[in-house]
Amino acid sequence: MSELLEVDGVEVSYGRGRAERRILHGVSLSLAAGESVGLIGETGSGKTTLARTILGLTRLTAGSVRFDGETVSGLGARALRSFRRSGRLQYVFQDPLQSLDPDVTVRDSIGEGLRIRGGLTAPDVATRAEAALASVGLPADLLGRVPGQLSGGQRQRVAIARALALQPRLLLLDEPVSALDAANRIQVLDLLRTLGTDQGIAKLFISHDLGSVAGVTDRIAVLFRGDIVEVGSTRDIIARPQHPYTRLLVGSATTLTGGGVDRERRRELRQALADHG
Amino acid sequence: MIDVLRAALRLPSAKIAVGILIVIAFLAIFGPLVAPFDPYAQNSKDLLQGPTLEHWLGTDDLGRDVFSRLLAGSTVSVLAAMQSVVVGLVLGALPGLLSVYLGRTFEWITLRIMDSFITLPFLVFAIAMTALLGNGLTQAMVAVGILIAPAFYRVTRAAALTVSHSQYVEAAQLFGATTAWVVRKHVWKKVFPAIAVTTASMTGASLVIVSSLTFLGIGIVPPEPTWGGLLATDLGNLYQRPFGPVVPALVIIGTVWALNALADALKDATTDAGAPPVSKQKRRELQAVPHGA
Repeated sequence: MSELLEVDGVEVSYGRGRAERRILHGVSLSLAAGESVGLIGETGSGKTTLARTILGLTRLTAGSVRFDGETVSGLGARALRSFRRSGRLQYVFQDPLQSLDPDVTVRDSIGEGLRIRGGLTAPDVATRAEAALASVGLPADLLGRVPGQLSGGQRQRVAIARALALQPRLLLLDEPVSALDAANRIQVLDLLRTLGTDQGIAKLFISHDLGSVAGVTDRIAVLFRGDIVEVGSTRDIIARPQHPYTRLLVGSATTLTGGGVDRERRRELRQALADHG
Repeated sequence: MIDVLRAALRLPSAKIAVGILIVIAFLAIFGPLVAPFDPYAQNSKDLLQGPTLEHWLGTDDLGRDVFSRLLAGSTVSVLAAMQSVVVGLVLGALPGLLSVYLGRTFEWITLRIMDSFITLPFLVFAIAMTALLGNGLTQAMVAVGILIAPAFYRVTRAAALTVSHSQYVEAAQLFGATTAWVVRKHVWKKVFPAIAVTTASMTGASLVIVSSLTFLGIGIVPPEPTWGGLLATDLGNLYQRPFGPVVPALVIIGTVWALNALADALKDATTDAGAPPVSKQKRRELQAVPHGA
């Protein structure tokens, strides 16, 4: 498989001088076409910063991001806009209530990217919006509704449909189920498991919850304090975690271990992590 | 946008306000045409008369029909207030919106200009402008427009700032949207209600300033009739016509009330946008339900 996304030695810092805070310390990660990779890490580890850097929303201080053989980090405003209009890289935000305009109907939200890209007639945009909505298992009668008239799960599906309407090659999903309740979370995870496999859409699934990522991805990268500390197949990461932080993550994931390890074991794992760091 | 207007018009106070404003607008457009007498025609035989069947509001110290002068004065008073609001809108709302998108230099410059406008007192600045540029209502109202521009600037900027940092705007930018697209499709809808509320309340404020200026005889050349001018004439003849200032004052108060009521209704509608309409009575009932009931 050829590499679709190549993140090479990406460093990101906020602030200047003494107030400077390094968020990412030379992160490298690659993702092949059609592959599904999980990026896992605790809150503040730099997951969203990495996603935003890939998207060109956050400026990197060192390193590069290549997409489909093209360097996309450091693009000028016009070139970046042109790249974004291609729709090849799509992002799904954590909270659909925030990422969908409350005054815009589902039809217009899904069709927005297509209209910005141009080249399609209004009926074509409507047809594509309806097809995208169907691909996430939602009926066409929701097209005329606004986000406030949908359930949390439906909203996140609409956000996913909006990304899919542009037929992307890579879908960046930033904590797509963390804002949902248990029932909606399972529904969306079921959708993500099979989503885009026929079209060869690659997925980078960002989450702090190993349990959510495990069933959806082929590989997992573990981000800890701005560094990728472990990368491996999902099976290996869960069965044989190497880094102390990964061990703690696996030990704490109740959905993986059926109730999780006991408090004493978790304390040992935390101590091992502290000794390591 | 239309939802907000529709929601606002569901409130009874807004309906009354719009009714009053339609009458005032009619008077402003057709007032001089429907006036029963020439508002400038003097009649030395009928000085300072009380209300009669012929002269509904009596006559002033030059024998002119007060009702006709009130109708004719509507045009000048309303137009002057609108003039200052349009100036305020253009000089305030537009830079307020652009300050969010045109970079830090533009933002800094416009913020400092608006800060300096805020420090100027309305009436004194308007009087100074008419002294500098000649006694005319346009000069005075442009001055007032400049001084109300910061209100439009701050309201528009605050609303645009909130929206510009929202995720749905970021989502549009990730689709490759231009700033113009973002403003047209996402920002404008959210900013419009705030501008509408400010426009309504500022029109009321401007009307008070127009009336104050014309009351003082600033910006208007006699014998041109205005609401403030009528009030001044009637106050001068309070012994002969004690009821004289009542009607012009009521017209000014009524119009300003209607504009403020409309502003309030728009504000309520903006807050409740998207929610089903609930009357104040119903809202009180809902709030009165004890927790756990």
